[in-house]
Order: sequence, then C-alpha cells, then structure tokens
Amino acid sequence: MSAERPIETDKASQCVAAWIAQYAPMRDAPDELLDPDGRPRAHWLQFLESLAAFGDTGLEQRFAAAGRRIDDMGISYRVHGETKERSWPLGRLPLLIPESEWRDIATGVAQRAELLDQILHDVYGEARLVAEGALPAAAITGSPDFIRPMCGVAPPGGRWLRFYAADIGRGPDGAWRVLGDRAQAPSGAGYALENRMILSRALPSLYRDMNVERLAPFFREFRASISGAAQRVDPRICLLTPGPWSETYSEQVNLARYLGLTLVEGEDLVMSDGKLHVRTIAGLKRADAIWRRVDADWCDPLEQNAASRLGVAGMFEAIRRGAVVVANMPGAGLIESRALMSFLPELSQRLLGESLKLPNVATWWCGRESERDQVVQALSDYAISGAFSDRLPGFGERREALGHALSSEERARLIDAINQRGVDYVAQEPVNLSTTPAWADGRLTPRPFALRVFAAATADGWTVMPGGFCRISNRLDARAVSMDAGAQSSDVWVLTSRPIEWSTLLPSDEDPPIVRALGNLPSRAADNLFWMGRYLERAEATLRVVRSLGARLGELQHIDLQGRQSIERLARLLIAWGAAPEDMPDMDPTQIAWVAAAGADNYGSALSVMRYARRAASIVRERLSQDVWQLIGRIETRLTDAGARPITEPEALEIVERSLHTLAALSGLIDENFNRVAGWSFIDLGRRIERAIGTCRFARQFAGDDATVETLDALLDLLDSQITYRSRYIAGAALAPVLDMAMLDPFNPRSVLFQAMRIDEHLAALPNLRDDGVMEPPRRLSVKLRAELESEDARRLDAATIFAFEQRLMSLADKIAERYFTHDADGAANSQPSRIA
Amino acid sequence: MIYDIAHRTIYKYDAPVASARCAMRLIPRNDRGQTVLSHRIELSPSAEILHERIDFHGNRICEARILKPHTRLQIALAARVAVERAPPPAPALTPAWEIVRNAAYASDSLAASSPAHYIYASRFAPLFDAATHYARKSFSPGRPILEGAIELTQRIHADFAYDPDATHIATPIAQAFERRRGVCQDFAHIMIAALRGLGLAASYVSGYLRTFAAPGQARLEGADSTHAWVSVWCGPEFGFFDLDPTNAIVVGNDHIAIAIGRDYADVSPIDGVIIGAGDQDLDVSVDVKEAAI
Repeated sequence: MSAERPIETDKASQCVAAWIAQYAPMRDAPDELLDPDGRPRAHWLQFLESLAAFGDTGLEQRFAAAGRRIDDMGISYRVHGETKERSWPLGRLPLLIPESEWRDIATGVAQRAELLDQILHDVYGEARLVAEGALPAAAITGSPDFIRPMCGVAPPGGRWLRFYAADIGRGPDGAWRVLGDRAQAPSGAGYALENRMILSRALPSLYRDMNVERLAPFFREFRASISGAAQRVDPRICLLTPGPWSETYSEQVNLARYLGLTLVEGEDLVMSDGKLHVRTIAGLKRADAIWRRVDADWCDPLEQNAASRLGVAGMFEAIRRGAVVVANMPGAGLIESRALMSFLPELSQRLLGESLKLPNVATWWCGRESERDQVVQALSDYAISGAFSDRLPGFGERREALGHALSSEERARLIDAINQRGVDYVAQEPVNLSTTPAWADGRLTPRPFALRVFAAATADGWTVMPGGFCRISNRLDARAVSMDAGAQSSDVWVLTSRPIEWSTLLPSDEDPPIVRALGNLPSRAADNLFWMGRYLERAEATLRVVRSLGARLGELQHIDLQGRQSIERLARLLIAWGAAPEDMPDMDPTQIAWVAAAGADNYGSALSVMRYARRAASIVRERLSQDVWQLIGRIETRLTDAGARPITEPEALEIVERSLHTLAALSGLIDENFNRVAGWSFIDLGRRIERAIGTCRFARQFAGDDATVETLDALLDLLDSQITYRSRYIAGAALAPVLDMAMLDPFNPRSVLFQAMRIDEHLAALPNLRDDGVMEPPRRLSVKLRAELESEDARRLDAATIFAFEQRLMSLADKIAERYFTHDADGAANSQPSRIA
Repeated sequence: MIYDIAHRTIYKYDAPVASARCAMRLIPRNDRGQTVLSHRIELSPSAEILHERIDFHGNRICEARILKPHTRLQIALAARVAVERAPPPAPALTPAWEIVRNAAYASDSLAASSPAHYIYASRFAPLFDAATHYARKSFSPGRPILEGAIELTQRIHADFAYDPDATHIATPIAQAFERRRGVCQDFAHIMIAALRGLGLAASYVSGYLRTFAAPGQARLEGADSTHAWVSVWCGPEFGFFDLDPTNAIVVGNDHIAIAIGRDYADVSPIDGVIIGAGDQDLDVSVDVKEAAI
C-alpha cells in the first residue's frame, strides 16, 4: 500500500491561494468557487486544500490514472453521424454541491416530476386541463411526442413517468432554474455512475473525507419500483436499446449490466397472446417490464412509424392490455416541449396547490395572442426557440435566436413567422449560467455548466439521485451546453455534514450489480455469442496458416521441392478461404501471407474476421467482461495498424505471433472467467464447430491421397500436435497416424472428435423445448456424429469421407441456428422481419 | 346514394413468407354523412383475426395474423355504404380565415374532431415556404375561409398535372410541388401543407370515388384505385368540409371516406410486418358502383 504523503499544510495553502488568484470568473454570471464578493466558498476551499496536498506530481499521477481508467472501462459515446466511438471526456474536478442547497434542488425536482406525471395523466386521460382552459390543445398537439394511440390508455403500474430528468443551471441571481425537462429516454444516469467510479478511485481519500452521497441506492430504488409495478413477482425487466449504433449504446450496456436487466433490441421481442415476450434459447419468455431507450415513435411499427425496425409490432396493444410496464410510457416525451414550460407555474398551483419550488426559465408560448404581441413588440429582450423542436422553425439548423443579435432581415422574417404560426415558437428570458472550476494545464479556469438531475418514481413518490450528470462547456459563453458541442462531463458530489456509513465507504460499493438475474439467454445474444466464437476461432486458424507459411518461407533456401509443395498448399488454402485475392496468381507467397493476416480488402483475412468478431461482440457487450472486450479490440487494432504501414518480414511474423498469443489469452479468459451459464456454451459451441470444420479442411488439404511427409508435417504444425506426435511415434509422419491424430483422437484438443464430444455435451445441457423426452434436431445430429467418429478407423479415412464429416458439421451449425437463434410466436424458424409495402 | 365497394389488395412474394402480422384500415367511416350498411374482410390464406379497434381519429382497424407460410396474400374488402352529405355552406358566409386560425390555436378540445391536431407539420406533410407562399395568394386578409380554400383547390387542379409516373409514396411533397406533377396523394399533401403553413387546420381523407361517372359527366381521376382528398376546418360553427384538389370539386355524394388522419401515415390501408426474405409485389384493384337495389 502506498501511503499518501501530504506535503506541508503551508505549502498546500500557498498552492490553493495561487490557484484562486489566477481564477477569474465572468462578471455577469455567478461562480461556484467564489462567492459574489470574490471569496472562496468553504466546501471548495476544503476540497482544493486536500487536492493541493497531493503535490503537483501526485495530482497529475492521479488524473492520469483516471484517464487510463476511462480507456479501460470502455466508456465512450458516439457523436451523431460518426462511426467511431470516442473516449468519454471526463473533467478532473467534481461539481460540489452542499447538502443544504441540494435539499432544495431535490425537493424541486421531485415536485416537478410529480406535476409532470399528473399532467400526462390528464392529457392522455380526461383532458380536463384543456377543456377548462388551463392548457390550450395546440400546446399539446404540436409535440411530436403526443402519441395519439396512447389516449385513453391506463398506464400499467399507474405511472406515465417513472424516470425523469431535469436540466438545471444557476442563474445570475444565484437561484437554480430548470432549463429543460427530459422524459423520452433520458441519458446520462449511467455516465454519472461511471464518472463516479472513476473519480472516487482517483481521489479516494478526498471522496471519503468530504462525505459524498452514494448513487447506488437510487438505482436500487428505481429497479425495485419497476419490479413492483409489474404483474408477476420477480419480473423480467428488459432494457430496450436501439442497438450498437445508438449514440449512448455504451451507457445502455453498462446500465443493463449494473441493474441486471436483459438488454434487448426490438427484434428480440415478440407480441403474442396480448403479452410481450423475449425470444430466448428456451423459447418465448415473458417480458414484464421495459425500460426503453427507443423513442416512442419507433416503438411499434403497427401504430406509429411504419418504417421502424427498432420496435416491436404490437407493443402498444400489450400496453393497452396492461401486460407490460414501460418506463417511460410512450408519449411521456410530450412534457419535453418548451411550449409546456410556460404553463407549468399555473398548472402547479392548479394540480398541486403549491407554487413551483424550482422555477423554470421564464417562458412565453407564442400560440396565445397576448403573449405573441408582447414578444413581437419587445423581441430584443428574448431568446426565441422552437416550441416543440430543438430547431428554430424556418431557420435551418439554428437552435435559437437572441432577439438583440438578429439582423434586420432576420428580425423581420422571424416576426412574420411568429405572427403567422406563433404556435411553433416560444420566447425565453436569456440566462447566463454560473461557472464552476475546471482543471486545465495545471490551473483552474471557470467554465459554464448545466446539471442533469434524475428522479425515479417509487411506490409512494419520487426519489432523486444525489448527484447527476454535469456537462461543462468548452466556451466561456454558455447558452446551450450539449455533448456534441465539445463539452466535457464531470462528476457531481453532494456533500453531507454527517459521515457516510462505513459499510458503504468501501470503494467497491458503487460497483456490484444489484441483481444478477440475466435469466434465459435471448436468441439474438446466443446467435452473436456463437458467431463471436466462430470468428475468433477462424481468425486463429487463419493466423496459424500464415505463421506456418511464414516459417517455411524463412527457411526456403534449405528446403526441397516437396517443401515448396506445402508452401504452395498453404498459400492456396489462404486463397480458398478468401483471406487473399484469387485473381493474383503470381503474387508471391510472402505477400499472400501478409495480406491474409492484415489486409483489409479480403473478407477472410484475419483482420476482417477479427472485425466481424468485434461486431458480434459489440452486440453482446453487456455479457462480456471488459478484459474480453479489450483484448478483442487490441488484436484488431494491432492488425489494422500493422496493415497500414510498410513492414519487414520478421516484424510481420512477430505481429502474427503476438496476435496468436493474445487470442490464446482470450480463450483462456473466456474459459476461466466466463460464467458457465448458457452464454458461454454458445461461444464454445461456435469455437468447436469452427475448429472441427477447419481441421477437416486442413486434413483434406494436407493428408489427402497425395500426402507427403512434408504436407503431413505442415498439418501437425497447424494442429499444434508436433510434440505429441513425436512422443508417440518414433518414425516420421505417416498418413494413418497423422489422420488419427487430426480426426479421431479423443485426447487431442484439436481433433474433430474432441470437438464433436464437446458439442454434444453442450447440446445435451441446453434447454429442451420438448417435454416428451425426444431429442431435438441438433442433438440428434451431434450424437450420431460423435458416435461415428468414435467408431471410425483412420486407415479407412480419405478425402471423400472427411468431406462428408465436414458437410455434416455444417448442417449441424444450421440446425443449431434454426433451433436456438430464430423463433417466432409459435416457435417456427424465420428470417428477417420486414415491412409490408 | 348507396354504393357497393370491392377493394382487393394482393401481395406477391419472391420467397415464402413464414408469418405476417397486419393492421388493416379498410372499413369505411360511419359518420360525416356516411352509413356502413354491411362490410366483410376476407384474407387468403385464411388468417387469425386478432381484434378490432378504433384508432384515435375514429378509423376502424382490424388486426390479423397469418401463421401459414405463403407466397401470396390477398386481402379483400366488400362493403355497402349509404352516402348522404349535407351541402356545404355558402363560402362567403364562412368566417375570415384569420379568425378561424386563431380559433384553432385557442381550441379547448383534445378530441379527434379538434382542429388543434391538424395545424402542425406531420410525417408526410412537412411545412415548406414555397407551399405557404402559394397558399397566401388565395388568402388575402379577411377573406372567408371556404372561399379561399375552394380557390386553392381550383388552383392546384389548374397548376398541377395528374401524372402517376411522376411520384411514388416516398417522394417528398416539396419535390412534387416543384415539378407541379403528381397523384391525388401528392395534391392532398400539398394542399394540407399549404393551408397549415398559414396556420389553418386541414386533415387528410382516404377513400373511394364512384368508378363510373353519373350520366352526362366526365369520369373523375382516381376512380380505379383508392383516392385521397382534404378536409378543411372552417371554424367552430361550421366544422370540417371536404375538398378534392385532384378534381377541383367540393366533396359531395360521389366520395366515400375510409379514414381520416393528419396525413397518409395515419390512414394507410394496410400496415404490417412480415417474416420473410425477398422482394414483394403489390397489386390493388378497386370497384365502386351504385348498388342495384
């Protein structure tokens, strides 16, 4: 254990004083660190002094460790329209909020969540607020998230809103204001959790000493509340994701893992008997509750957007029948519109009998004549934005217009538009947000920020996450802080005066999954695990051939004609596998070897195959450990980098060798660290099938009727069986013994029989859909295949019989796919769903 | 007038479809001057009818599921409908369009009949400047709404060419507008976008036209398949009136409405999901004749 050595207190104080002296907040906005008189606030002073006590190098070491951890955890997000994920930009300093101030924020957010839930009940129910004139119908109907099929529906579990987020900021008067409401599928809670894990580890003593409120209880309560709302005890809760291309996929993966939810895509779900089900390897299993990250419009192609492939046909009907709890209900996103904000102060009085504890930015909806006239007359005083959309209608991609900054042409156009279709616009008071210290180049700089606070419905009210997702702007001018705009995020520490219970002080208390009940494996996950296994094995086989070829080329001068024969065959094999182009017959074997390893143009190259493996893995990322995910990425990166530059032969061989080592490490990780539930079986099934097929191909190529000592030697090489062979047989390689070792030896972990035995064991252990004790089709094949291999005689094997085994392995793979990866409501095999034109 | 309607849709698939699930919006409306006397939907191969429901806009939806593998799916509707619509008011008597617009903005109802649902851009009817500008010519300040709307109907008919090859369902209406060609669907969407651009409420109506013209009249466009037109809100006193921009007429008793919505997406006759691979081919036929009673 390395003790933390505080430098002298005096020195730390001097350091803090220097930081503060250099720190210059804006004049027209309040600051978190300095009070209006320019004095540092007590909690910040305490924090900075502890920070300074680490000394310059100690501090940089800690921050660097945090940076590495971000990479290690695979925390990333995708900017809309980009294909690569980026590292998460986490600020080094947390946002500090003292308990007394936090209490007001939390009460305000809870009140607001309750108010919005009640408004949703009314709008989708009796619509009395509209009938009584408190809320114009047009302030509702303009929202793309007024989901009409949900009108008159009683939300299963009694809540329209279960998970709500408020974006808040501190205004010039020092009071917190709500800048926006989020209810469609608020993101950020998972990132907040990850930010916490990183920062609490980078600054453990500080985290402990400052009595920071824990986040875990919030998630526990959220999960318990969904669980309690479902019809069945111990319900299956699914997180419905739009898939790996979603901007916040990595957050969704981590949340599913953390909360023990089944991560599903629309295709995993099917509506049957009025209920939703997950397609699993054990048949259809009820989906009791859904936490959706798919926008409502895309949830049900039968009732909303017919072009959607992200949802499930019949979901709305299942909701109507009360069969599935959905957080949030489709249509809850309605409350995100700015138009609604202008009515909230009044609606709060009306519905709750109290005023808003946390006011929103003052807003005027221009759909009403009096407000419209007032706004048009004093346009310069307002910021104008879309009443229902993120864009300012009629102004292209612009998000908002500041009245005083408009050109006269723009001004006239905007006024005309507001007069014509005022319903599309809102005016808001322009607010400068407060700034908080950010760490840049060894000093503190003030940066504007917005804070997203999360609330979850409980059985009798709302619970608010003590902390949140803080986005810090890169620019000093802070009117819209969005992740795309190059902002960074930071952890949010709610500081209490009482010490946090010791038991929750363990650094690991934010980590463990709350429940570990992933339940039956969804078919799509099984499919991807299976293919991940196959691709990893295929990449390994390809690299083995490359290595074997490379080694022989290295000693080319010393080998005879027969040796050349095996070189030619190895090269031919690579071409036959699609690892190297077939239209370049004069390509020299060295080139073929290298293209087969690191070329990106051929579908069968080790690099291409690793990319398929990674794609399959990305879809089941919540089931893989970070180590596995990282190693897969590492091999791909290594081959990509190597393929992109000129390289010497020995270097190339070394890269192939190292990639094989990493693949071996990966196999070990999967075998040693993967829970032996169904998920692992499918990876292993994939590996075994692929290896068995590959070995058959090797055997046909190198131990056919025209085999020579050289080619048999190459085969032993490819199967890693040289040592065993030599220990068993004194003489050199001979056909029947080599074939026996490749095909029939039950003790050789690379033989075809060895794979058939493992396959058969897996299939025997997997769930059986039949209750009459009769074997399912895949098992029938595997039992027979195993028995025949067990009773086969190596001297009888020739290319034709080996080919027959290979074919049977392929049809076994088909049967496995048919049985486990695809079934419809009635269990029938199917292909892709598509839309009726 | 009483009509017998036969509407048949055939899907042909290149590869067998394992199962299908569909929502059919085919049964004509039973309101606004129409009475459905009888109706029957037949599917081949035979299907399991799951349930029938009424959607938000008051259209009847029948959901079915076909679990048999098939390469051809036929959906046939037979219906008998009586149509007796009240004539529209004298256009000059309807309120000024600005008053109607403000009334729509201030509507205090969320029911399907509220104009508030029909003043905003929708999936197939996005608002665009060119259309708003086009509409403005027919709506001088203070002009009675129905007068302006009828003139707009006539202008669309005069300025646009009916051309079934010019567009398909995925063609953005701004493009059809630019080219000044299209079919009934495009004209309806363009007119809707134009009216909404001014803040007026307009809905989309899908339906049928009698196949054979009454004696002495020309055969109308859109008679041999499903048709589409526009319903314009004329203020709380008068409510909605239907106009057919494809034929430049006020909708009377020659039109039979199937469904109403914000645009085509709300009324598409058959939505569904099939489990299968390969291409599909669609064939629709419609026959509407006066019932022989």
